[in-house]
Amino acid sequence: MHSSETPLISATETLTVPGKKRRWASNQARPVKSAKSDLVLRFVSYVFITLFALFCLLPFVLIVSASLSSESEIMRSGFGLLPKDFSFTAYEYIFKAPRQIIGSYVVTVVMTVTGTAVGLVVIAMTGFALFRQDFPFRNHISFFIYFTTLFSAGLAPTFLWVSNTLGLRGSYLAVWLPLLMTPWLIILMKNFMRTVPFEIVESGKIDGAGDFRIFWQLTLPMMKPALATVGLFLALGYWNEWYLSSLYLGSTVEFKPLQYYLYNIINTANALRNSVAGSNVSITDLPSNTLKMASAVVATGPILLLYPWVQKYFVSGITVGAVKG
Amino acid sequence: MSVKQAQARHSRPRAQRAGAGSQRRRRSVWKSIKDSRMLLVMCAPAILFFLVFNYGPLPGVWIAFTNFNYHDGIFGSPFVGFKNFDFLIKSGQLWTLTRNTVLFNLAFIVLGNVLQIAIAIMFNEVRLKFFKKVTQSVMFLPYFISVVLVGVIAFNLLNYDTGALNALIKATGGDPIKIYSMAGAWPLIIILVHLWQSTGYGSIVYFAAIMGIDKGLFEAAAIDGASAWQRIRYVILPSLKPTFIILLLFSLGGIMHGNFGLFWNLIGNNASLFSTTDIIETSVYRMVMSQNNFTTSTAVGLYQSLFGFAIVMIANWTVRKMNKDYALF
Amino acid sequence: MSRRIITGVAAVAVLGLGTTMLASCSSGGDDGKPTEITMLVLGDKPTNGRLEAMLDKLNERLLEQANATLDLFYVEWADWQTQYNLQLLSGDSNVDLITTATDWLFAWENAEKGAFLPLSEEMLQEHAPKTWAQVDADGDWELTKLDDQIYFIPEDNFTQYTNHGFFYRGDWAAEAGFPDGEITEFEDFTTYFQWIKDNQPDAYPWDVAGSLDAALTGYLQGHTDLTTIQQVTAGNYFPFQTSPSDPTSVTSWYMEGDELVEAAELAKEWNEIGVWREDALNYDGDTREEFFAGLSGTDQHHTQTFIGSIVNSMNEKQPGSDPKMFYWGQENGNVYKDIKTHGAMAVSANSKNPEKALEVYDLLRNDETDYKLLNFGIEGTDYVMTDDGKLGYPEGYDASTDALGSNFWAGRMDEFEPDRVTDAPDKAEIYAALDAVAKDYPYTTFVVDKTPLESTLAAVSGVFAEYIPQLQYGKFDDPAAAVAEMRQKLEDVGFEDARAGLEEQLKQWGADQGVS
Repeated sequence: MHSSETPLISATETLTVPGKKRRWASNQARPVKSAKSDLVLRFVSYVFITLFALFCLLPFVLIVSASLSSESEIMRSGFGLLPKDFSFTAYEYIFKAPRQIIGSYVVTVVMTVTGTAVGLVVIAMTGFALFRQDFPFRNHISFFIYFTTLFSAGLAPTFLWVSNTLGLRGSYLAVWLPLLMTPWLIILMKNFMRTVPFEIVESGKIDGAGDFRIFWQLTLPMMKPALATVGLFLALGYWNEWYLSSLYLGSTVEFKPLQYYLYNIINTANALRNSVAGSNVSITDLPSNTLKMASAVVATGPILLLYPWVQKYFVSGITVGAVKG
Repeated sequence: MSVKQAQARHSRPRAQRAGAGSQRRRRSVWKSIKDSRMLLVMCAPAILFFLVFNYGPLPGVWIAFTNFNYHDGIFGSPFVGFKNFDFLIKSGQLWTLTRNTVLFNLAFIVLGNVLQIAIAIMFNEVRLKFFKKVTQSVMFLPYFISVVLVGVIAFNLLNYDTGALNALIKATGGDPIKIYSMAGAWPLIIILVHLWQSTGYGSIVYFAAIMGIDKGLFEAAAIDGASAWQRIRYVILPSLKPTFIILLLFSLGGIMHGNFGLFWNLIGNNASLFSTTDIIETSVYRMVMSQNNFTTSTAVGLYQSLFGFAIVMIANWTVRKMNKDYALF
Repeated sequence: MSRRIITGVAAVAVLGLGTTMLASCSSGGDDGKPTEITMLVLGDKPTNGRLEAMLDKLNERLLEQANATLDLFYVEWADWQTQYNLQLLSGDSNVDLITTATDWLFAWENAEKGAFLPLSEEMLQEHAPKTWAQVDADGDWELTKLDDQIYFIPEDNFTQYTNHGFFYRGDWAAEAGFPDGEITEFEDFTTYFQWIKDNQPDAYPWDVAGSLDAALTGYLQGHTDLTTIQQVTAGNYFPFQTSPSDPTSVTSWYMEGDELVEAAELAKEWNEIGVWREDALNYDGDTREEFFAGLSGTDQHHTQTFIGSIVNSMNEKQPGSDPKMFYWGQENGNVYKDIKTHGAMAVSANSKNPEKALEVYDLLRNDETDYKLLNFGIEGTDYVMTDDGKLGYPEGYDASTDALGSNFWAGRMDEFEPDRVTDAPDKAEIYAALDAVAKDYPYTTFVVDKTPLESTLAAVSGVFAEYIPQLQYGKFDDPAAAVAEMRQKLEDVGFEDARAGLEEQLKQWGADQGVS
C-alpha cells in the first residue's frame, strides 16, 4: 500500500512554478538569476545566524566572566562582559573538594549514555511500528501513548506511586527510567519514518524478512538524522534533569546528578530568602554569586561537545532515484 | 463444489451460520494480532513503560476531590467534592490567569516554531562546515542555563540602577526607564527570553527534517530555474508541513500548562507586573505555598489538563478532516 | 552494535538493582542487634567528612547506652518545603525522628494528617524519662497536644529570641546625630537613612532583596498594641491579630485602622529618598554580605542572628561599626518571647522502633557528652573550649567549609550551651533586656483547624502578594488608595468569613481555657 501523500509527490506537484514559461532544456546550465537569489539567501543566512549565535552566547559570556570575577566587585557593580578584578576563587572553591563534582559527573554521564542507548532503540522500534500503514493497531497505540501527555496524575499521586508502589525512592532508577522516552519523541520518530520510502519495506517483505529485521537492517541505517535528533534530545534530557532527582533522590544518594547538584547550590539562597524558613533560620555562608556562576560553567561545559560529535549524522537523506532504479 | 460439500454446508443449523459473522470478526482480530505480532512486540516496551509510569499513578488524581490524610491514603480519605477548586474561583483571578497562560503559550508555540523553521532553513544554506558546527553548538547553550541564572542575568541587564540597558540609554543621553515597573513591556521580554532559550534546541527537529528531504527534489527545482525563495516555498516548507502540524497539535495539549520556572524567576514577587504576566502556576504557587496541601495543586492540574484535552480533541478532529495523515491519531 | 546495547542494558540493570537493594537495607531491630535510628533534619548535607567522624564517636557511646546508632537524614534547603512534606507524605519507615516546628514546619498540619505517632505518657515516661520530667515540670506538654494526645516534644529549655528588627551601624548613627548611636524609634530611621544617602555614596541605606513584609510589620508592631496570631498564615504573611483588651476577638491590622496607611506612607518616603534599589522587588543579591562589606547601612532579621553572627562579623569585617539592633516593638514593649514549639521533635507514625527512638532522643538531649558531640562535634577538631569557658574554633577553622552541619534544633538545652566566642559580647545584657519586656505568647495551646479556612486563606494570600511587597517598598504612587483597594479585594475574597471562622475557634478555646 502506498502512502498517498508523501511529501515526495506533493512537492513535485507544486514544483512547476506557476506562471513561468519553461525556457530552457533540462541539460542547459542554470540561469544567472537563480544563482543570485541563492547568494542573497546565503548572505542573509550567515548574517542572521551570526547575530542569533551572539544572542545565545552573550548571557553565557556574562556568566563566565562573572565566574572569573571577585565577589566584592560583583556586589558593587553587577555583571559585565569582562571579568572584574580577575580571580579564580570560585573555581578553587569548587575544585578544592572535587570529589562531589567528579562523582556527579560520573553518575550523569553513565545515566546519559545508557539511557540514550536504551531509549533510542525502544523509541525507534515503536516509531517504526506506529508508522506502518499495515499495522492495524497503530491508531489505538498512538492514542494510548499520546493520551499520557494530556492528563498527568500530579505531584502527590505520582510521588506516592513511584515511592511506595514501585519502591524506587532513593534509587537512580527513579530518575533513569522515566526519561527513557516521551510521547513527543515517539511521535517525532514516527514522523521521521516518513522519509523512508515504503519501497524499502516492501522489498524487505518480498525477500521474506521479518518486521524486526526490516527495521534493524533496512530502515535504521537510512534514518541517521532522525536517530541523531532523537538521541540528542534524549541525551540532553538526561543531562539537564534535576526535578526527578530533587523529588526522589534528595540527599539520599552520595552523588547527585549534575544539574541537581548545581540547582542546590544556586537555589539555597533563594529558597531561604523567599520562604518562611528565611525568617526563622539564620543561615550564613550562602554560596556567593561567583560560586553560582562557576558551578553553572562547570556543569554545562562538557555537553557542548556533544553536538559537534553528533553533527556528522545530520547528513542529507537518500535520493529516491536510487531505489526506484 | 461437490454434492457432499453442498450438503455439508446446508446441514449446519441456521443459528450457527448466523453466528459465523462475529466469529469471523473475532477470528480476524486474533488474526491481526498474529500477523502483526512482531510489530506488537516492538511496541511492547513503550506500552509497558507508559502503563507503569503514566497510567499507574493516574487514579491518584482522585486526591483532588478529597481531604487527604496519610492514614487513610488517597482512596480512604474523606470526599469533599469540588471544595479544593474553591480558592481558585474565590480569588477572582481565574479568567485573567487562564487568558495569560493560553496567550503566552500561543505566542511561544507560533513564534517559536516560525523562528525555528527560519533558523533551520538558514542553517541549511550555510556551507562552511566549521561555522556551522560552532554556531549550532552555541545555540544549544541557552537551553542549559538554569532558569534561576536567567533571572539573575535579566535583572543585571534590565534593572534601573545598574542595568546595562539603562547604562546604554544614559550614555546616549536618554532617561533611564523603569522596566521592572512597566507591565506592558514584560510579555515581550518573556517571549524573547523564551525564544532565546528554546529556539536553538527546537530548530534541530526541523533541521533534521530538511536533511531528510529527497535531494532529487532540490535538483529538479534547480533545473526548473527556481529562485532561492521559490525553493523554500515549494520544496522545503511543504516538506516541513507535517512536522509543523504534529508539533503544533502536540503543543496544544499543554497549552494550559505554563513554564513555571521561567515566570517565577523573571517576575518573582513583583506584583506590578502580575496583570500581564501572572500565569496559573505562579499564582497558585503563591497562594498555597505556606499550606501543606497537595490536594489543591492536584486540583489545579486537573483543571489545566481537562481544558488542554478539550482543545486538543477539537484541533485534532479539525486537522483530521483536512488531511488524515497529519492528525496525531 | 547490538552487543554493546545488551551490555549497556545489563550494566544499567545491575546498577539499578544494586542501588535499590542498598537503599532498602534494613536497619537491624532484632533483639541483641543494634537498632539504627534515623533523624530527619533540615539543611544541606555536609560533605567534608566531619559529620561521619562525629557520628562514629557518638554511635560508640549510643551503642553502649542504648544499643542503638544514629544516622541523619537531610532535607536540603533548595526545595525544602516540597521535599519535607513529600517525605512525610511518603510514610517512609526509614525515618524515626522528625524535626518539626509549629510555626514554620507544619507541625499541626502533619500531626492532623497522621504523619506523627501519638506519644502516650507511659511511653514517654518509660523511654524518655528525663525529657518527660523536665517538660512536665514546666507544664509544657500542654503545648503539644491535639485531641489530648501528645504529638511532639517541645524544645522548651532553650533560650532564644527570634523577634525581628533592624541591624544598623552605631558609628553611622552617631554621626547622623543619635546620642551613643542608638536609634529608639522606628521613624528615626528616616534620619539615619537620609544621613547615609548624603554621606556614604557607596552604600545603600538599606539594600533589600526579597519581599517579606518586614518593615511594615515593624511599624505596625510599634504603633499598635496588637498581638499577631502565629498559627495562621496566608502565604508569607500573618493576617490576624488580637488586642490585649479583647483577647478572644480577632481583628487584622491589614484590614482595620490607619496604621497600615501610615506605614505605607513612610515606606514611600523612604523609597523617594532612595533607601533601597529601584528594582528591589526583583533583586536577589546577598544583602547580609553587603552589610558586612559596608555597601548597605542596614540589615533585617531576628535577635538570634544578631547575637550569633552579625556582631561578630561586623566587628571583624567593618571594625568600629558598632552594630546595634532595633527590634520591632521597642517603643511600646509589644514584643513576645519565643514560643516553645519553635523547635520540636516528633516520632514518625511509620517508625519501626519508636521506643528506641525516644531513648536515643532522651540521651541526645540530656547526656552532656552525647549532646556536645552531636551539636558541636569532636573537641579539638571541630571546636575548642577557651579559658573563659566559651566555645571557640581551632586554628585554621573555616566555617564555610568545615562546619559540622548536624542542625539539631529540636532539643537544645540552655545548660549545655556555652557562649560562643563569636557571640555578641553583650549577649547576656540583650537577653536580660528582652526578658524584662517581652511578654508570653498567650495562644500557645490554641490549635487551629485550618480546613474550613484554607481556601479563603489561599485567596487572601493572592491578594496580599499583589499589594504588600509594593506597599513595603513604597512603590505605589498613592499608598492610601492602594490600601483601600487591597481592603476591598480582601473583602471580596471572603476575608471576613475567615476572620469570623477563626474567631469562633478562638472563643471556643478561650472558653475551655477560662479566658474571657
